[in-house]
Amino acid sequence: MSLGSRMGTWWRAVRHEGAVGAQVDEELRFHIESYAEDLMRSGLSREEAMRRARAELGSLAAARENARQAWGTRCLDEMRGDLRFAARMLVRGPGFAIVAILTLALGIGANTAIFSMVDTLMLRPIPVHDPHDLVFLSFPRDPTHFDPGFSVPEFRQIRDATHGIFSDVTAAALGGLSGAEARADGLTIDGTTMPTQTLFVSGNFFQMLGIRPYLGRFILPPEGGASSAHPVVVLSYRYWKSRFHGEPGILNKQAWVNGHAVTIVGIGPKDFLGLTPIVEMQAYLPLGMMNVETGGDTKSISDPAQRGLLVVGRLAPGMTLTRANAALAALGPQLVKEYPRPGEGKALQARALRPPGLIDGPNPFPALAGLFLTLSGLVLGLACLNVANLSLVRAAARQREMAVRAALGGSRARLVRQVLSESLLLGLLGAAAGVGAAVVALHAISSLMTVTELPLVLDFPLNLRVLIYALGIALAAATIVGIVPTLRASGGRIGDVLHEGGRTSIGGRQRTRMALVAVEVGGALALLIVAGLFTRSLMRAQHADLGFDQRNVLNVKLDPGEIGYTEAQAKPFYNRLLQRARALPGVEYASLAQSVPLDVDGYQSAAIAVQGYSARRDEQLHADYNAVTPDYFRVMKLAILQGRGILDADDASAQRVALVDQAMAEKFWRGENPIGRTFTRTSDPGHPIEVIGVVRNSRNEDTYSPFTPTFYVPLAQAFALAETLQLRTAGPPEAMAPEVRSMVRGIASAAPILNVQTMREEVNGPDGLGVFDWGADLTAALGLLGFALAVIGIYGVMAYSVAQRTQEIGLRMALGANRNDVLWMMSRQGLTIIGIGLPIGLGIAVGVGRLVANFLVGVGPMDPATYVTVTLLLTGVALAAGYWPARRAMRIDPMIALRHE
Amino acid sequence: MARETAVDLLQGTLDMLVMKAVSLGPLHGYGVLLRIQQISQGRLEVQQGSLYPALYRLEHEGWIAGEWGQSENKRRARFYRLTAAGRRRLEAETKKWAEFADVVGAILKTAPEEA
Repeated sequence: MSLGSRMGTWWRAVRHEGAVGAQVDEELRFHIESYAEDLMRSGLSREEAMRRARAELGSLAAARENARQAWGTRCLDEMRGDLRFAARMLVRGPGFAIVAILTLALGIGANTAIFSMVDTLMLRPIPVHDPHDLVFLSFPRDPTHFDPGFSVPEFRQIRDATHGIFSDVTAAALGGLSGAEARADGLTIDGTTMPTQTLFVSGNFFQMLGIRPYLGRFILPPEGGASSAHPVVVLSYRYWKSRFHGEPGILNKQAWVNGHAVTIVGIGPKDFLGLTPIVEMQAYLPLGMMNVETGGDTKSISDPAQRGLLVVGRLAPGMTLTRANAALAALGPQLVKEYPRPGEGKALQARALRPPGLIDGPNPFPALAGLFLTLSGLVLGLACLNVANLSLVRAAARQREMAVRAALGGSRARLVRQVLSESLLLGLLGAAAGVGAAVVALHAISSLMTVTELPLVLDFPLNLRVLIYALGIALAAATIVGIVPTLRASGGRIGDVLHEGGRTSIGGRQRTRMALVAVEVGGALALLIVAGLFTRSLMRAQHADLGFDQRNVLNVKLDPGEIGYTEAQAKPFYNRLLQRARALPGVEYASLAQSVPLDVDGYQSAAIAVQGYSARRDEQLHADYNAVTPDYFRVMKLAILQGRGILDADDASAQRVALVDQAMAEKFWRGENPIGRTFTRTSDPGHPIEVIGVVRNSRNEDTYSPFTPTFYVPLAQAFALAETLQLRTAGPPEAMAPEVRSMVRGIASAAPILNVQTMREEVNGPDGLGVFDWGADLTAALGLLGFALAVIGIYGVMAYSVAQRTQEIGLRMALGANRNDVLWMMSRQGLTIIGIGLPIGLGIAVGVGRLVANFLVGVGPMDPATYVTVTLLLTGVALAAGYWPARRAMRIDPMIALRHE
Repeated sequence: MARETAVDLLQGTLDMLVMKAVSLGPLHGYGVLLRIQQISQGRLEVQQGSLYPALYRLEHEGWIAGEWGQSENKRRARFYRLTAAGRRRLEAETKKWAEFADVVGAILKTAPEEA
């Protein structure tokens, strides 16, 4: 009761400050008048009475103060007063304010930008109804490999058997992956076909997610089944905006997916990208339409061996994840018995569907986030140290003011509060500027990431979480910045300060500043070492042997399947294409291939059985493969080490042949000659494949993982609808691009050309060096920021030291010291700073090394070359930064210096 | 009776007296002053400077409630009355005071031989 009343009056005092103040005034006026009247009745004159009344009651202002104290609003008043005073002081010294705010803005901005990225990739939940209730199912092989794929019959069975566990179960299949191909599907509207990232979903997908369409409607439950009479498609908001400019007339229009007719019935919600962040699903089709990828073959959809479905369930009300898993334990073995999964796990498990989505294999994101947050935290630390140093300088100038305040009765707490409110103000202003800087930085980062065919949405918004984070680190920064001058301010002895002429200079304060700068140097060293490691890693990756020659190769990705071509139509298309391409002037060799190394579309994988190689029980042998025309090895300059290449004679009617790479030869036919041996694909056991040659390993999936066994089959024996035309050109490959484009159009005018890229661009793309590039860029940016801050810090403290000791220097010179002595005296300070800072930095670098190690290739986290180079570089610049002011000290004219105050 | 010098009052005691004063009927600030003086028959004069802080404090805690009203000479004044919580508080404080006075009095009355 008392608390409620107290809160009530406090709130009223804060909100209706003016009214309440006037109230108090009125009340007191009444009192004074009444008292005065009584006094007048006892004989006093009016003025005398009023005077006495007022005197006895005390001043109105004092009374108001007392009242406010009673109400507990005193604290607020004082804080407001402090902030106002702090603002005035900052305006009085704009130089300090601007530098401090900018410095803090750099540190806070860097941190906010990185946190925003972390938020988008790891924290922000999917914009659906109750996202935390969504789980996905899998048969985990081990804690990091999920195997989340299910077949259609398995999905049906799961759905029917889990009514108590999940309130709803839905399935989704990423378009472009099912069937033998790995390309995006093509959406044709009004005659133009564009590759579109599709997601095939079961009928209850949208219902289960609980979202509402932006326009039109979603796929309804009865429409999910196999080839209903009127197939429908839902487009994503962004795709609709970018391709059709947000035209509402798109609804109910006829469209074709890979040549199959569908009707556009709706547009998805604005922020909805699908089930994962970053990559956008552009079109949603019913599961029943998966036949658009298999060339009309509907049987393969229900094939129990085709496990392309992601099964997502919503936990029933009251159900927890652990209870659900306990309930699923019984279903797992049952499912495996009916649909065997050799080599995979046996326990059916549900896991929460969280960003960054499903990553098969160890999740690198937490480590990445930790690393970059640490690095940017270091930068913020450096920024704070710089501002703290500046504050110390200011505090020195205001020593007198502080002493006077203390003498007039200011308690230590009050003084501390006053200094802290200044740093608080700096922190808040720095936060505002920092958020602005973060927006700019995020823009730059988004454009840094190379454009690929994937519809990436690199949108890192500043939502509430990010802003709260920014405010939080701003407050932390303000505290750090405020602590040091605070400790100095409240510890000064009044008498000494007031009497001194301000000649005290070195001593505690200077030592503190030197210590701070030493730590800065350490931090900068650590940041630069990390940047150096990443850069070296990039350089190593760039010079790594890829196995093939990336120069002078042009890749043209095609997919006539998107305009509905069947195999019968595509074959002649490709034949003519190859003929015409070879005839082009400037083209040395031309070939077709199903997959291209280091492309975003990975290589196909085949389950095989090798004669003479016995697999372990339950182990299913796999190998990657590529289907190519004979000239592929000439175009890519991929050396054939043994046997022969592919010939035109190896066509559909001849014996099945393949070339294997060294990794495959090593794995399955170790020590023996693989030529002449055979293996079969489990999908085609009637046609054993004979090994006719061995090629060099080539970097297919990425630039750093160990080589996976890979084999090459003739395209004539393993036709693929989507192929890439590859040309080895005499001159620069980019120059040939327009000619090639018009050549393709000449053969089939509507054929969608998915992408035209040089092999070199491919190698530098996201699956190749792109990641290293990106990592090196980001760490370099942070490293340079830290470096700049440290150099400024060193220069600042040295320059200040010289200025402070001008008199002393003059004295020394007058007493016989020569210029070099002075130089050495001042340089000693700089050397001390570096001497202390270097070990600190090395220590930090070693500590952070563990975080960094996971992301380096070919370079260890303690790479001596990097450490030595960076240390020497930093030492050199730091010495220079310290030398400059010292040089000025050398030049001091003793006569002027002695008179310097 | 001659007016003695005003007795020094502790903050807690002033609160009690103010509450007692308004318990007998709603009063404005000046009225509280007068009433305390009146009840104590002139022996007690409250320091004017400490009256209003006490009133605001009591109102803040919720033991008295203030309301604007009209004084005897038709002027606007703020009247305070005791709330239910205030009444309970006054009873508790009165009891404590009585006990306190009892104990201290007993100690002070102890004759040297009885110690």
